[in-house]
Amino acid sequence: MFNILSEPFSWINLLVIILVAAAVLGIVLVFVMYAIYFERKVIGWMQVRNGPNRVGPWGLMQTMADVFKLLIKEDIVPAKVDKFLFLIAPIIAYTPAFAIIAVIPYSQKIYFADVNVGLLYYGALSSITITGILLGGWASNNKYAIMGGMRSVAQMVSYEVPLIMSFLGVVLLTGSLNLREIVQAQQEGMWFIVPQFLGFVIFLIAGNAELNRTPFDLPEAENELVAGYFVEYSGFRFAFFMLTEYVYIFAMASLMTVMFLGGWDAPFEFLEFIPGIVWFFLKFLLLVFYLFWVRATFPRVRTDQLMGFAWKVLIPLALLNVMLTALFKTLF
Amino acid sequence: MWGKGFFKGLSFTLKMLKEPKITSQYPDEPIIMPERYRGIHHFYPEKCIVCNQCVRVCPTGCISLVGKPNPDPEKKGKVIDTYDINFELCILCDLCTEVCPTESIVMTNNFELATYSRDNLAKDLKWLENNNTKVREENH
Repeated sequence: MFNILSEPFSWINLLVIILVAAAVLGIVLVFVMYAIYFERKVIGWMQVRNGPNRVGPWGLMQTMADVFKLLIKEDIVPAKVDKFLFLIAPIIAYTPAFAIIAVIPYSQKIYFADVNVGLLYYGALSSITITGILLGGWASNNKYAIMGGMRSVAQMVSYEVPLIMSFLGVVLLTGSLNLREIVQAQQEGMWFIVPQFLGFVIFLIAGNAELNRTPFDLPEAENELVAGYFVEYSGFRFAFFMLTEYVYIFAMASLMTVMFLGGWDAPFEFLEFIPGIVWFFLKFLLLVFYLFWVRATFPRVRTDQLMGFAWKVLIPLALLNVMLTALFKTLF
Repeated sequence: MWGKGFFKGLSFTLKMLKEPKITSQYPDEPIIMPERYRGIHHFYPEKCIVCNQCVRVCPTGCISLVGKPNPDPEKKGKVIDTYDINFELCILCDLCTEVCPTESIVMTNNFELATYSRDNLAKDLKWLENNNTKVREENH
């Protein structure tokens, strides 16, 4: 079903491709809805209170009610903003998040684009979101927004470096940037979390910072910067930025399962009868739960400590990881 | 070891997942108010002697009453004809119950009185007489 890209072009093929993309968008949106619901529930339970539990049975319709509220709000575009940039910024922030999902292999047979440079595609696209955020901050014509935007760009750019470097260890062990081959290499050997534990930890921390989530959520610090770079956005444009963050959680968590936790691989031989997609989903949920758990636990990093941590701690550690992996590979 | 605090924090929040929740589930479980809680009033028309003290002492002037001569020609004094509490003004301060010599106006523990229309906030004699659940025991 997925070698449709290698067939000659026809209008039917194009229609099928568009429908599949729409279906994936639908699945991602359902994921976002319930990720928001479960985040509120998990954080509530960790704070010894119930999360949302009134709207619908057990509060399941809460996100739908919130999204509906955001969609029917008045679309306020302040008078002195840079109109074109203001309108385009959420779109630039969101599109790479969705485009990344195309290269991730969800199971043996379910994958959308078998790109030989899948990892590079991922790293490149996730940098475009930073541009969207900067535009959102700049175009808002507001001091708080531009400060938030600058802080966010500085943070995301500096944590992007250890993020990419933590991939390098995995690439060295596999010899390829193709995500499917990385999973296949893990199926034969051990899951890469074991030899690359340092890389995994660095990815967890740097990924958290890339997503602008607590403890690195200075740019959107609700009580410090009055929502930072999206202070002037209301209604569905704000919903777009929120959507970007949660779709990125999806993309980042699925990349982590593919690279370090073995993708669709079952942990033990006797559990092979459970389909691969279920294993992918379970590992993915574990990582998403970890992100929520961290949000409930840690306080925010201080402004002066934030950049120092990236440049003076994470990057040397990531470099050390790469060098040790290279050393290991040449000696054995 | 550097970083030990991180794991302590994470294990603490994980343990908190199974603790019983401390929020009170209000609409599903009723709130039990203390014994002397000052809610909306209850009126005993047979005890009222129309002395007008509650009207005089009310700080917001929400009580208004009209008395009539005792229908029984033998007895002296007045009996109560109409008694209105304008609940938009009442601050539930309890002064009317303290000053009443016969304890005919007392308070109850009922506080769930939100309505959709202001018409329901003019409490008259009938309503106050019928509001006889959870009446406060001590009134002075």
